[in-house]
Amino acid sequence: MTSLQHAQPSSAHTRIQVPAWAWALTLLAIFALYLVAQDNGVVLAQFGDTAHEFFHDARHSLGMPCH
Amino acid sequence: MTGTLHRPHTLQPPPFAPLLGRMVLAGLVAGALAGIYSLLVTERAIAPALDLEETRAAAERGAHDHGGALFSRGEQLVGGFLGTLLAGVVLAVVFAAVYALVRHRLPGHTDLARVCLLAGIGFGIFALLPALKIPANPPAVGDPATVGTRTAVYGAVLLCGIVSAMLVAALVSFLRSRAVSTAATATVAVGTLAVLLGLVLGLLPGSPDPIAADVPADVVWDFRVASLGQLAVLWTTLGLAGGWLVD
Ligand SMILES: [Zn+2]
Repeated sequence: MTSLQHAQPSSAHTRIQVPAWAWALTLLAIFALYLVAQDNGVVLAQFGDTAHEFFHDARHSLGMPCH
Repeated sequence: MTGTLHRPHTLQPPPFAPLLGRMVLAGLVAGALAGIYSLLVTERAIAPALDLEETRAAAERGAHDHGGALFSRGEQLVGGFLGTLLAGVVLAVVFAAVYALVRHRLPGHTDLARVCLLAGIGFGIFALLPALKIPANPPAVGDPATVGTRTAVYGAVLLCGIVSAMLVAALVSFLRSRAVSTAATATVAVGTLAVLLGLVLGLLPGSPDPIAADVPADVVWDFRVASLGQLAVLWTTLGLAGGWLVD
């Protein structure tokens, strides 16, 4: 594997700067997971129910509370 | 430059974008493997619970029918796989951001070791802790009326796990800044973690649902073991593949 260290010398002790877009992406990712996993039609109404039913087995098998 | 090579703390940390890209790739692999596991193992543990639901629905017509109305079983199998895959990718995005924040504070000499350590902590918070407090249930067990309460308990368990990990990390940083020995720091950290988790498990309310009398115990336990195994596949792959790709 090409190493990140090889691409650019890196330090073990300085913080990696997380750009603002990455935080936006993280929030979006969490929101997407919420829609798929937990939204029982609260935010997306009918589509939320549909997504819930489609991803239903994933909800159960990943340990999330369900019906 | 030759001088700085011996003083790593003056070098730049790796940029975030490649880290994110590699973790997302690892998340895809982890989600795919966990999805395959779910088709081979977890779905087999779900099947008897669905049979039970069928039996119930046949016994009392007009009762709440949750299973087959909107999607066929085949479509739900696809959804189960895709949902797990999506969870792997989403997890990887969040993991990359958290890893970037805490990397410089994690012990370990390689990124592989650090990513695996963070994945281990993630498995503890998002899989083991809920498994102890509000374990996964197959369909047919839950009471639809209490799903709000159960979701709140589940969320509270995850939140308490995150806070506990942060408190222990802050404590370790503090002890290290006071030059306390590694052995003493480890002892205090483990002791504090045990007390915090004991409080979380002892004080938070459990699931309000009793397991219905017509659900055999082994149906529930087969499913719980399968579900925990699936989460183990997800987190282990995320740690190993992510660590290998990032390192
Ligand atoms: Zn369900």
